[in-house]
Amino acid sequence: MKTTYYSASMELSIPSELGYEVIARDAVAAFALRMGFTHERVEDLKTALSEACINAIEHGNMLAPNLRVNVACMCDNDRLLVEIHDQGLKHHTPAQMPLSMADKLAGLGSMRGMGLLLIGQLMDEAGFDPNSPDGNRFHLTLYRQHTVEHVPSQRTE
Amino acid sequence: MSNNKSETKPLEKIIELRLPSRLGYERVAMDTASSLARRMGFQGDRVDALKTAVSEAVTNAIEHGNQHDAAMKVVVLLTVRDDELIVSVADQGRQLLDQNNVTRTPHIEDILDKSDKGGWGIWLIRELVDEVEFTTAPTGGNQVRMVIHLER
Repeated sequence: MKTTYYSASMELSIPSELGYEVIARDAVAAFALRMGFTHERVEDLKTALSEACINAIEHGNMLAPNLRVNVACMCDNDRLLVEIHDQGLKHHTPAQMPLSMADKLAGLGSMRGMGLLLIGQLMDEAGFDPNSPDGNRFHLTLYRQHTVEHVPSQRTE
Repeated sequence: MSNNKSETKPLEKIIELRLPSRLGYERVAMDTASSLARRMGFQGDRVDALKTAVSEAVTNAIEHGNQHDAAMKVVVLLTVRDDELIVSVADQGRQLLDQNNVTRTPHIEDILDKSDKGGWGIWLIRELVDEVEFTTAPTGGNQVRMVIHLER
């Protein structure tokens, strides 16, 4: 198995209570800025991290008081990896046929549940670790060489 | 239904931050403490004072306590209570703080004469927060406990 060496890392642990995701957001933003990521990318990371922490608090830890959410940040020359780890009272099970954001906005389903879709749009990579033995582990990755994936098509008439 | 336990014990929430001993990471601690203090309702000047105190304490832990060894951690514990914020900064104690230095007020003439202009940190922390305590942690490292009170 390939092991990746990360030149810098920090860890953060917050109470599993709505509102504390804001403190995690600001701590991780300070780390990412220090690692040289642009303000624009850090703003995306702040939104994605807040969503991921809220998921961990609400769903993974099921709003149980006295549980914790742990956030680990690792950075090397290529990427910034942030892992959000809850204590997993409820394990994430992916939806069989997830609706797209457009379908939801068109009223075809609940307006909730857009967090993961939003995170997917903002980050270069994001997802749950399927083999986590203890609680849900969700990771967010930002690459330094950001690949532009969503170039709007230019129509000439 | 009343719960006697929660009535006697102050309600507190703890945020833990573990940083490598590398200069620059004090900014992460500063921004985290500032974010928390602002949300607790501290005024801007008190938040600025806390940021400076946290920066000094973490810089001391990196430079002196852990001797710049990046593998050694600086642990910052932020404890939120209804009426106060406690920030505790602990290092792994490669070099222990001389207790004779924690209460001394430096003389500017003495410091200007030295090539190293450092030595203001502990005095500065004392001036900036409401309570401060320098101790040796049970695990052997240096520990600084700083408290600011919320005045409503």
